[in-house]
Parts: sequence; structure tokens; C-alpha cells
Amino acid sequence: MKKLLALIMALAMVLSLAACGDGSTPSEGEGDGGGSADISGTYDVVIWAPEAAVDLTKSQVEDFNKSNEYGITINATVEPVSEADAATNMITDVQAGGDLYFFAQDQLSRLIQAGALSKLGTSAAQFAKDNNNAASILAAQSGSDLYAYPLTADNGYFMYYDKSVVPDSDVDSLEAIIADCENAGKNISYELENAWYTAGFFFGVGCHSDWVTDDDGNFISIDDDFNSDKGLIAAKGIQKVVTSKSYVNSSTADFASGSAVVVTGTWNYATIKDQLGDNFGVTDLPSFEVDGQSYHIGSYSGCKLLGVKPQTDATKGAAIARLAQYLTGKDCQLARFNSFGWGPSNKDALADPAVTADPTLAALNEQGNYAVPQPNIHGSWWDIAKVITTDIKDSDGSEAALKAALEKYEQSIEAVFTMSDDVKNAFTVIGSINGDGWTLDLPMTADGDIWTSNEAYTMDAGVEFKCRQGKSWDVAYPADNYVVETAGTYYIQLNAATGEVTLIPA
Amino acid sequence: MSKSNKHHMGIRTLNRVSNGAIYTLLAIISIIWLIPFVFIVLQSFRVENTYQVGYVIPQQWGFQNYINLWNSDFKRWYLNTFIIALAAAVLQTVIVLCMSYTLSRFRFKLRGPLMRFMLILGMFPGMLTMIILYRVLADLGLTQANAVPGLILVSVASSGMGYYVSKGFFDTIPKSLDEAARVDGATRLQVLTKIILPLAKPIVIYTILTAFMGPWGDYVFARYVAFGTSSGYNVAVGMYSWLTNDQIDRMYTTFCAGGVIVALPVTILFLCLQKYYVEGVTGGAVKG
Repeated sequence: MKKLLALIMALAMVLSLAACGDGSTPSEGEGDGGGSADISGTYDVVIWAPEAAVDLTKSQVEDFNKSNEYGITINATVEPVSEADAATNMITDVQAGGDLYFFAQDQLSRLIQAGALSKLGTSAAQFAKDNNNAASILAAQSGSDLYAYPLTADNGYFMYYDKSVVPDSDVDSLEAIIADCENAGKNISYELENAWYTAGFFFGVGCHSDWVTDDDGNFISIDDDFNSDKGLIAAKGIQKVVTSKSYVNSSTADFASGSAVVVTGTWNYATIKDQLGDNFGVTDLPSFEVDGQSYHIGSYSGCKLLGVKPQTDATKGAAIARLAQYLTGKDCQLARFNSFGWGPSNKDALADPAVTADPTLAALNEQGNYAVPQPNIHGSWWDIAKVITTDIKDSDGSEAALKAALEKYEQSIEAVFTMSDDVKNAFTVIGSINGDGWTLDLPMTADGDIWTSNEAYTMDAGVEFKCRQGKSWDVAYPADNYVVETAGTYYIQLNAATGEVTLIPA
Repeated sequence: MSKSNKHHMGIRTLNRVSNGAIYTLLAIISIIWLIPFVFIVLQSFRVENTYQVGYVIPQQWGFQNYINLWNSDFKRWYLNTFIIALAAAVLQTVIVLCMSYTLSRFRFKLRGPLMRFMLILGMFPGMLTMIILYRVLADLGLTQANAVPGLILVSVASSGMGYYVSKGFFDTIPKSLDEAARVDGATRLQVLTKIILPLAKPIVIYTILTAFMGPWGDYVFARYVAFGTSSGYNVAVGMYSWLTNDQIDRMYTTFCAGGVIVALPVTILFLCLQKYYVEGVTGGAVKG
């Protein structure tokens, strides 16, 4: 008996511990650093930086300790956490996460919603806006507020090629490149089954796909015209690549394993340079031709950002904001460019002769004329948009099949949240009817303010339901669940003006 | 004479042919089975570059990848993993064997209910407790840099419930042996250490091996507990952090070298104890 009692006690202890484990984090940032308040002191700060940048970050923090005019000493612990993983790690436990962390911009919304980013104060935001290029500011923005400091503006893609297979005279034409590679029995690595690359074709023909976010990082709506006549041209372009026998769905440095063209970004530069040696070639993406018209393939351009976790101690928050501004300033960005080739977002650093002379950044820059700054994108979009490519690849190649792929894409993004007004205003019945566990919305039809269920349902006594509008709980009647008193078969009727629910025997 | 002789030869040739076919098949299967291991070992000695290439045999051989390993955080991760696995192996084995001995030889009122209770508790998927366990460990301060004691605690905590196989084996050892020893004046503990354990060597080794292997290959929980703190990683979590897009080209061959080093102790352990391991797995299945 004792053992059982001990076990129960142990369980109870575990549960109570778990219950008090939820610490609240301040949602509003104080990382202003604008006031003249004294912020001198020594602060313990955990910084998450990609493995390659750990040592450099350590020395940059030391430089900050020596040079800053506020009397701040930062006692930094720099942990190697990839910027691709930052959000996953932060969301595990925000309180225990890094105070300052590098992350890729597509994680912004998730991090804001998790309360892992403090909003930049007025002067900090001004500092960021004054010093960085417009695309990188857009990347750090949600609603009208900035939530992070731009670190780089090099997250885009362009084309590396093997000069021995693709002559320089062919690099501007997609058709010529495909022919060269097919003739030489070489591959084209173009990760078109990834929405980030898929979208480039659509931007190239002038389509757009813009998500709108509010100040809290929530998505409100999407404005997208991929399913249009222009979009069909893009689909034909994608078809040219994916139906070639040379096509490989990859964006890694594949020159050592049979590719002559790889569409990827600056991060593969060193590897590819080493693989190709004298045959190394890099340039912007080519143009493709549909119905005699030529279209330059577009792309996304994106950034890495430096995030500041909300702090409970306002002075520490202000001190960290100062450090963040230093780390994203011109000197630190240039140092990162020199060490790992990260393209700066800082305007002065961008004008530096070493930066303008870099071949990959030059290609990126050239591609920049056709690139769309990557805004905040709803997480589900990536899986929806990449299906366009697979649908085109698996189709019979007819124009109707291409149209069907785009049609399917449009339906999928609309299903994310953009409901038509009819659906938004309509009432539905939801409850334990037919043994359903509040998962299925049963349709109702309106006659003025009177809504009646389309079918009569056989209900036992005790069955509960509600009528709700737009499949959400903002408007739902009655306030408490309606409970059926007598078993029978009924139509459900709602007076939307009064909120009164009645059962009409069938 | 010659005819029957021919017939005899026919059977032998048939045997040879069928044996030949079987051995060829086995050879092919073992080659398929070995390819990934050979591949990893070869890649770990490739030093002409550090990214993935389209060929298997290195153009230049060397130990640079192992030197890189030595200069990275890998040492720390390896030590962490080793400490966790070793502690788990010792503690779990002691707990499991005591548990099995008790449930096999003692008769007490709650024995039946307790076994049923543990059976039901065991059906609860452990992964579901992850978040709660994380909160408990976080409140105790056993996460991130202190992940090692935290992970030891987690792997040892519920190990008593894994008594089935060894209890089944203990049940097959005749009780009269215990009784004889008791008559000669042995204590209960002496019966366990002097009589049962020597007879149950395969099962002891099986318990040690499985207890060691669990934490050795753990990824999901280790990653959750040690998130974002390199000094708390185990090898699986640490090495996985090398596989991100921005690092794989620099770390690929080092990763392969790490894989070889991780596989070494386990392979050696298995080769030495293989005989007992097979006996242990099957031993508990026959109940006397």
C-alpha cells in the first residue's frame, strides 16, 4: 500500500510542478535604447549564432565591451545554433532561449507569436531604417513595427554554371542551357519542387503573391494572382525545366555529381568554386521564351535577422539593444562578409569596394532587378505552392492540365483563411448531432434573418449543439449549448436577429 | 556400379549447386547490408574536400576529418553520451534485476496488482510525457548545460517497469536451488548474487546492453532537454546540428568520421557479447 501511496504522491508532485511551469514573458519590448537613462553595468547574455560565426561573434562582443560609451560590459555565452533552427529552438522554451539570436526571416511570424521577439523601440527602429536597405527592413517588419535587426541581405538565388558545358553566350537563355546540358548528358539542379524556387517563375512574368500581417504577427489576407493568364506563362516555363531529362530537384553543390548548372545562393560559393575551378561561372537567372515573348526568371530575395528576446529587466533590455545595434552595424557586417561572404544589408557596407567586387554578390545584385523581397509568408504556403511543380511534372503536358494545377493552387490558398463573404456570414450547426464530436459544420439556409438547417436530424435527449457564424465562435447562439430535451427528428431554426434557437419537428 | 556412382555424384553436385546459390545470395545480401557502413568509413578518410561527391573511393586519404573532430565540440558530446549511457546501464541493470528477482521469488499481497498496474502504465506512450518531463527538468535546473544528469534521471526513472524479459528468465531457474541455499543459511541477497545471477548471465548482459544502447542513440529527448546549448548535447544532437544547409558542405566528411567513432564502442561491445545477447533475447521467452 505504501508503494502505491508513494506513487500517487509522486504523480501529484509531477503534475503540480508542471502546472506552475508556465512562466509569463513580457509581450511588449523595451529594447529601445533611446532614453538617456543609465544602462551601465555587467550583463550575462546568451547569444545564439551559427557555428561558423561563433568565434567572430565572441570577438565582436569583446570589441563592443571595449568601445561602447554607455559603460556596458557584456558577459557573453555564444552557443552554436543554426539560423535555420532558431525558431524551433526558441519555441521549445522562450525563457531558456538565447537573449540574442540569428534567424532566417521566414521564422519572423512564428517568433513574434511565441513572444520570442521584442518590438524595436522608436529610436532603435530609426537606427535600423537609416542604416539598412529597404528590402531587409521589410523582412524585419510585421504590421508597421520592426521586430528584428537586419544582419544580411544575401538570401536569394541565382545560377552557377560549368563553363565547359554551358558557354557564356548561352547563359541568358533557358532553352539554350537545357539543350547544352541535355547534349552533354549533364544535369540541371534547380529545386523547383520547393516553393521558394517555384515562385521565381511567377514573379518573372509579373505575378504577385502578397500576404498581409497585422501588428501581432497574425496573417489577415492574401493578394495572389498566380492563377491567371500570366501565371499560365510561368507554368509553361516551369514545364520546360521539369520535363527535361536533365532536371534534378536539388539546390546543393552538385557539380561533383553530374550537374552543369545549379541554381542556389551565396552559401554554396566556396564549395562550388572548389568544384569547378577554372570552369567556374556565376550569373543571374536566364530568360525563357513563350509564344515569342521572353521573360526573365525572377526570385525571392531575403535576409538573416538578429532577434532580441523580451527581457524582464528593462535596463538589461536596453543594454542588449545597444549590443544588437553594434552587431548589425557596418563594421560587424563587413567583418562577416570578409570571413564567410555574407552579403551585407547595411547601406555603407554595401558600397564597400570589396563587396561590390564579389562575383556572387554581383550576380545576386543583377538578379535583384527581377527579385521580389520576401515578405512574411504564411507557413502553409510553402507546401501549397510547391505542388504546382509536381502537378506540372506529373501532368500530360496539355494547357488544360497546367490550368488545372494553377486552379488547384488557388483553391488551396483560399482555404487557408480567405473565405468568401457568403461563407463568412453563413450560420452553421455544430454539436454532438449524429454522434459527431463538434467537428462538422452542418449547413443552414437563410430566409431573411431566419436560418433553418438544410436537413432534419434525429437527435436523442441530451444532444447539444450551437449555431455559429463563419465557422468561428465570434458569433454563436445560444450562449450556452442548446440541449435537446425530448428525442425526435427536428429541423434546427435560428433567428439571427434575436439569437433565439428553436427545434421544428420534421 | 558406375550407374549408382553417377547417381551419388548427382546428389553431391546438386548440393554444391544449391549451396553455391545460397552462398551467392547471402554474399549479395551481406554486401548490400555492408555498403552504407563501408561508404561512411571511406568518406571519413576522404580529405580532398569536405562536401558530398559522386564517387566512393577517396582520391586523397588522411586523418584530417578525425583531427577536425578532435578540435570541435565533439569530444564534449561524446563524453556526455558516454556518461549518460554508462550511468543508465549500471543503474538500470541494478534496478531491473532487483525488480525481476523480487517479482519472481517473493510472494506479497500487492504483487499481482502491482504487476498489472505497471503493465497498464507501460502502455502509456512515453513520448507524450515529453513536455511535462521537460517542465519538471527545467524547474529542477536539469536542462541545457545540465542536461546530462537530467537525461540520466529520465532514462533511469521508469526503468523498473522493463522487468518482463528478465523475470521470465528467473522464473525458469528452479526454486529448489534457492531453497537449498536458504537452508544452508544464505540471505535473500546472497541467493540473488551467488545463485541466480551466475545462472542468468545472458540476461544480465542483455539488460546491460539494452540499457546502454537506449541513451547512446537517443535524439528526440536529448535534443529537447539540451536545446540550444552545445555543452549539453549528446552525439546525435550535436552531429545533427552539422547537417544544416549552411554547414553540411564544410562538415560532411567530419560528420562521417563522427559516425565511425560513435559506432565503434557499440560494435565492439556487440561483437564481444553477441553470444550472450542472442541467448538473452530468446532465454526469457521460454517459461518453465
